[in-house]
Amino acid sequence: MPRLTLIAPDGTHRLTIAAGDSLREALDATELRVRAACGGNGSCGACLVRWIEGEVSRPTAAEYLKLGPEERAAGWRLACQLRLTGDATLALDHPAPPSQWRSIAELPPPIGRLPELEQHIYGLAVDLGTTHIRLSLLDRKSGRRIASRRGPNPQQVHGADVLNRLDAALGSERKAAELAKLARTAIVQALRDVLARDCGEVTPMMAEIGAALVVGNTAMLALLAQQGVAELLAPEHWQSAIDCRPRATDWQAQWYLPHARIDLAPPLAGFVGSDLLADLLACDLCQPDRPALLVDLGTNSELALWDGARLRVGSVPGGPAFEGAGLRRGMPAEPGALCAVTAEGDGFRCQRIGDTDAVRGICGSGLIDATAVLLAQGRLKPSGRFATPPGATGLALIPGEERSSLFAGDIDALQRAKAATAAAMRLLLRTAGLAWADLSRLVVCGAFGHHLNLQHARAIGLLPPLADERIELIAEAALLGCERALLAPGGKEWLGAAAQQAVSLNLAQSADYENLYIEELRLRPMALHP
Amino acid sequence: MLEPLIKAYNDAVFETDRDAAFAVVDQAIAQGVPAEDVVFHIVIPAVEEMMAQLTLDPDANLAQHFMTAQIAAEVTDKMLARFAHPPEIIGRIVIGTAQGDLHSLGKRIVSGCLKALMVEVHDLGVNVPAERFVDAAVELDAPVIAVSAMMAHTANGPQGPRRVRELLHARGLEDRIKLVVGGAPYRFDDQLYRSVGADGWAPDGVTAGKVIVDLIRARPEELAALALPLEGQENSGRPFVFSRSRGETA
Repeated sequence: MPRLTLIAPDGTHRLTIAAGDSLREALDATELRVRAACGGNGSCGACLVRWIEGEVSRPTAAEYLKLGPEERAAGWRLACQLRLTGDATLALDHPAPPSQWRSIAELPPPIGRLPELEQHIYGLAVDLGTTHIRLSLLDRKSGRRIASRRGPNPQQVHGADVLNRLDAALGSERKAAELAKLARTAIVQALRDVLARDCGEVTPMMAEIGAALVVGNTAMLALLAQQGVAELLAPEHWQSAIDCRPRATDWQAQWYLPHARIDLAPPLAGFVGSDLLADLLACDLCQPDRPALLVDLGTNSELALWDGARLRVGSVPGGPAFEGAGLRRGMPAEPGALCAVTAEGDGFRCQRIGDTDAVRGICGSGLIDATAVLLAQGRLKPSGRFATPPGATGLALIPGEERSSLFAGDIDALQRAKAATAAAMRLLLRTAGLAWADLSRLVVCGAFGHHLNLQHARAIGLLPPLADERIELIAEAALLGCERALLAPGGKEWLGAAAQQAVSLNLAQSADYENLYIEELRLRPMALHP
Repeated sequence: MLEPLIKAYNDAVFETDRDAAFAVVDQAIAQGVPAEDVVFHIVIPAVEEMMAQLTLDPDANLAQHFMTAQIAAEVTDKMLARFAHPPEIIGRIVIGTAQGDLHSLGKRIVSGCLKALMVEVHDLGVNVPAERFVDAAVELDAPVIAVSAMMAHTANGPQGPRRVRELLHARGLEDRIKLVVGGAPYRFDDQLYRSVGADGWAPDGVTAGKVIVDLIRARPEELAALALPLEGQENSGRPFVFSRSRGETA
């Protein structure tokens, strides 16, 4: 892939650009921003960049219209039109302010459309997560995705943990209102970012949005709607559906969406959200007579088992290790993170995200890889103990690189996270009377996106003994499923019906769960019989 | 003659290898070692050694705690079934998860260690009201109530350990019954146990076993109260008699 050196006022950035992407599309997936006031069709002429050297595409007709001969001779180009044909150096002299809303790279096209729609044809799909908010704007009539965004959930100022936020909301009405507003405002901001940059006008477009659908874990939906928080904190309600429908009568006004029907897809149970339902829709899990298991890996992992006729769902808390949180040198899967590790003799071959020289930390997939490699090398025991304790400085995966260090506690955090999901998978299969071999598919979504080394995941017992071809990794499944629900006639109803029919299991409260959990704490492949 | 068995067992526990630990125990029984000797000379010293190690090791691994406590509890259960006479217990406690809390794993680890150390554990389960903790401790004459709470609002809320303390105070039981707490919120704030009125706390399940055993040992008058002959059994003349805990299953 072509490599770009971009000289900006804040310094020089090095990026790898996917072939075929315009410079603007590539930068929209980072925090760097070109100025823009149209949807990237060359009509506003705001996204100026300056060519310095290297191989780029020839100017387009739009560039000839917007740029005079002198400007073109000085190297000026439009970022929405320019594509790299090889390595190149460009200057971004006047960037737009950096945005925390980045477009989501490599999303497959949405499925479905509603051709009979006459007005308010746009739709907003939102996956409201504990850590991140993801959304996309759709032209529902044609089934086209206009743009997508991903950014942090600002409620994190009230605690990274769901329970802290629920506590805060339960304790004070003012805080409850503030938490709801934080999430709502963030969604509206991200939407405005899409409209300003990808459509060129904001307020008139807001009025053209006819539907918004939010999926999320139960706690996030309850906090957004200010409804159901107390029930969520009371164990007797965890098994049953929790009503998270907002009671506010000026809901549309609060969202600045005057013509939109705004729906929160109902969660399944206390700790099984509608994000799991959206996952199911995204991958068509429930096909007649094709038993399949879906796992959405995260701090609270959610699972769904389709036995060919019935859907069983549950969730288990495993801790944030998969997301790279709670590790000494942990970080999310962002540029600078060690994301893949393989053995190289007695040492390691490490790969990091982005075209950066600096190692900033280790993300979840890197931790899984490193653990599997150390285990195979005999430097880590199945108990999780190092053969030679790495001590206070940790074990540097890259010699001399302090940010690449692995510590005993990191392994512990991974053991507990993977034991929780492994135990939950086994318990679900046992409940349904299925064996691993009965599963036609295992769909893995959540924390790792596409980046999970299946062989390593099986070796440490994170995934069951199934061949690669039966395992599918799906990135951004909840957002894709939410889009599909917006674009299919009766899509929202499908979510509602699935929520009604699913059998919700309180996995962690089962006596068997604890036995399986302790069994699965060891770093070894999962049992051949669930 | 026990030396090789002790070493093999300690190695297995160190590696948290349940199958290997059971193999050692089975071998011991096959060699004619009495079940009593297996527990008192092999299993309990290993648990005590593990506790000592954990207090020294700042990077102690929770997953390893869980696995070792589980091995200790399972092996002990298996051996107790083979005891010629019921063993002595060193004390009796009630344990449970605070009201509103369904996290049972921490409690299970504590129970596992305590059982291996010959403490009779009455497990009241999860989501236990404060009144039930106190009523059960009085009924069973247990000198320690152990409350596990994994969430901020159950660890620090009005219906958890705080309420247990209020009841102990109101009913004049504070001299007879001690309150210990455990769970993640107490780890995040190591003074929280005081503010909820607990007499002790521990950062992990295995250390909790040690804290509770120390509390029991520090209170000989309560131990004496436990020296009751149990139905159908002669008082052996020893100070304490073991009884299988009610409501507690392996």
